[in-house]
Amino acid sequence: MRIWMYEARLLFRARLAVGALALLAVLSLAAVGAGLAEVARQHGAIAAIAEPQKQDIAAIAAWVDKDKDAGSAAYYTFHPTWDAPSPLAFAAIGMRDVSPYILRVRALGLEAQIYDGDVFNPELALPGRFDFSFLLVFLAPLFVIALFHDLISGEREAGRARMLSALPGARRLWFRRALLRFGLVFAVIMAPFLVAAIWSAVPVGSVALIVLAAAAYLLFWIALALLVGRLGASSTANAATLAGAWLVLTLVLPTLAHVAINQAVPIDQGSEIALAQREKVNAAWEIPREETMRQFYASHPQWSGSPPLGPDFHYKWYLAFHQVGDESVARQVQAYKAGLKKRDAAARTVGWALPPVGLQALLTGLAGTDLAAQLAYQERIRAFHRDLREFYYGYLFTDRPFAKADFAKAPRFEGS
Amino acid sequence: MNPALLVARDELRLMRRNRVAVIAFALLVLLTLTAVVTAWSHRQGIDALRTRHQAAADRAFDAQPDRHPHRVVHYGTFIFRPLGLLAAFDPGVDAFTGNSMFLEGHRQNTANFGDVRQSSLLIRFGQLTPAFVLQAVAPLLLIFLGYGAIARERERGTLRPLMLQGASSGQIVAGKLVALGLVALLAGLPAMLGFALIAGQPGAQSAPMALIAIGYGVYLALWSALILFLSALMRRSRDALIALLALWAVLVVLLPRVAPDVAGAMVPLSNRLQTDIAIARDLRGLGDSHDPADPHFARFKQSVLDRYGVTRVEELPVNYKGILAVEGERLTSDLFDRYAARSFDAQVRQNDVVHSLGLLSPAIALRTLSMAAAGTDFAGHRRFLEQAEAYRFDLVQRLNRLQANAVSYADDTARDADADRRKRVSEQTWQAMPDFRFRQPAGSTLALAALPWLGVLAAWLLVAAAALVFATRRLGGR
Repeated sequence: MRIWMYEARLLFRARLAVGALALLAVLSLAAVGAGLAEVARQHGAIAAIAEPQKQDIAAIAAWVDKDKDAGSAAYYTFHPTWDAPSPLAFAAIGMRDVSPYILRVRALGLEAQIYDGDVFNPELALPGRFDFSFLLVFLAPLFVIALFHDLISGEREAGRARMLSALPGARRLWFRRALLRFGLVFAVIMAPFLVAAIWSAVPVGSVALIVLAAAAYLLFWIALALLVGRLGASSTANAATLAGAWLVLTLVLPTLAHVAINQAVPIDQGSEIALAQREKVNAAWEIPREETMRQFYASHPQWSGSPPLGPDFHYKWYLAFHQVGDESVARQVQAYKAGLKKRDAAARTVGWALPPVGLQALLTGLAGTDLAAQLAYQERIRAFHRDLREFYYGYLFTDRPFAKADFAKAPRFEGS
Repeated sequence: MNPALLVARDELRLMRRNRVAVIAFALLVLLTLTAVVTAWSHRQGIDALRTRHQAAADRAFDAQPDRHPHRVVHYGTFIFRPLGLLAAFDPGVDAFTGNSMFLEGHRQNTANFGDVRQSSLLIRFGQLTPAFVLQAVAPLLLIFLGYGAIARERERGTLRPLMLQGASSGQIVAGKLVALGLVALLAGLPAMLGFALIAGQPGAQSAPMALIAIGYGVYLALWSALILFLSALMRRSRDALIALLALWAVLVVLLPRVAPDVAGAMVPLSNRLQTDIAIARDLRGLGDSHDPADPHFARFKQSVLDRYGVTRVEELPVNYKGILAVEGERLTSDLFDRYAARSFDAQVRQNDVVHSLGLLSPAIALRTLSMAAAGTDFAGHRRFLEQAEAYRFDLVQRLNRLQANAVSYADDTARDADADRRKRVSEQTWQAMPDFRFRQPAGSTLALAALPWLGVLAAWLLVAAAALVFATRRLGGR
């Protein structure tokens, strides 16, 4: 144990090492703090839905109650959905700053609603968030480089290397020094994260996996540093080589891979879905209304017993052609989703070759802040929208009046 | 020969002999060329795609059958934001904003289908563009090539003999600076190739391009000065390298990431749910056009009747429903504009926070300059949103006026079997409606917006130069 104390004292005598570790500690605390603040802000925004939403519904209910037309209720009522951040989201904000986590939908065509975004400042989103994943993926390797680039070459340049390697247990000496540095970096990075993870009640499995992945990631960079160090160049050359490797692995190759993936998997169906759905929806006004109802009843036989349309406008026809419009683009929607998933999968494949990408994918995956999580949220919105439509259909297709009290019976989104 | 030039020649010769340096330089050139080609083809591809989509949307609008004007208000139109030429150099926030919008009556939709929500997580690692290479990678190369320029001479004891031979410390540093500056120039040159491509296109604007070129020149010059300053200041070349790498990591990687978090915490932004509900509430406060007893609309109706000197809406020479639609859209659009202005203001204040941190990081200042001059910053996106809203309002009001003038009130309220046909307006009308054309800002507008940041960069250069002079004096003193 005493020998470890000596090594630690030796390390702490180096200004560079102390400065680096102190800076890392500050950044580590700041990154976790920034992540927690962002997640708290998002929780706050979700908690703040209820009150204005209640007032909105009350005003609409008072108005609809005059005619008691379920169609007006369906047309004017927006129902909130939300995607609460997971306990781990503070560690990797991922896409949550650019994709909406609150979306209000109504029982009209979903394809014209589900791709809507929320308000965000693009200039703030451009450089990415300052969170634990940024600290670990981008900054931690730089600190590893600072502490390890001269582990061996420093002693050589000081003229002690030969003497040290002649001592009994020389191998253990290098091992001890490397382990001490690794342990300190690891502890400084992980301590704030672990405290926040426990405080946020992150599942133990996820925490364990992240601890292992973080250790493996740091060890990768340490191994790289030691490998470069063994080539026998000067400390300076080692630092330059390692910084170059960092640049290539964390910035250059991922951006190249991004270009390659987006070239290989082109996605331009998004706006085409919106265009096609709009055509289909509006075309309903040009064709006999019975034609639309026939198409609608084909996929919704349970309502086909509804009385035929009279000469006046009826909202059941309105909702029917919106639904038929959605169904007409179902195949394009599937292709669009498949394209997105393919891009995501390609990036994960790249992650096996590029540790920074792999770690980022793992963190955002565990935190539920990646593309897959965004798509899963959209699936939940789709399911909710289905319930919502069926709820209004129950009134419209049986011509039941929709009174003030019925607003409270509408399905509610089950937040995660 | 001037001693400074001798020093420069010697330094360049040394760099050329350094195999690692040559490889690094070659890699940077290769990376820049790749970035130029991919960013160029990316912009061309996006531009072609959006042009194609826009043409399809315009065709669909023009091809509508005979329709009631209010149907067309809901049919709406899709618009796509075209990408400026300079986006091939610095696409800025383009990938982070939606680039297509659905415009319709009574509603203000969001811009959708931005790249960031359609790409893998890799997009958050940065984008390979000439701007990125020059902002982030080029300084790192200069650090590798220059950290030892002076520290090395001192470490090896060659500095004193050099000065004993008659070279002043100023001449030595000037020579090193010339050498490093030359390398910086060469490193920046391939990116300028992309500029040549852009300049050859119709509609290329010289003022913002000149500003970008000068801005990046100043940026690389100030890095050269900073590198030599630390190289002269530090006792050992390794210390100089570590200090420079730390400086680079803080200025180029860390601060640009921390700044948005600071700005976001300082200036909160209303989300869409809050805004939508507030707009709906304000609208209800203005009145209910469906309620005959509503004071606002009763007054409005009376004013219309008075204007035409009649007592009943049926006697009006125009369709009252159309007049009412014009008034309704005016009220909602007013609210949209007011809330949008509030949101834009908040975002501008957030960006101001980030930009003011440009005083601490020349990388932020340069990014701000670059995006502003390229027209790909928030202001550029805002221009699109504001032009889109102006166009939406104009189109919807044209259609509402069409309802007022081309559809009679009697037909509009009729419920007989043939009424639907009589309410419709001829299909030729839709072709006469103007299409959305995004007006690119004038070159001078872009250049003016970018100019302050050139000032910040120039200030940085002055500080770096002053520091270098200080370090040079110290060099001579020992």
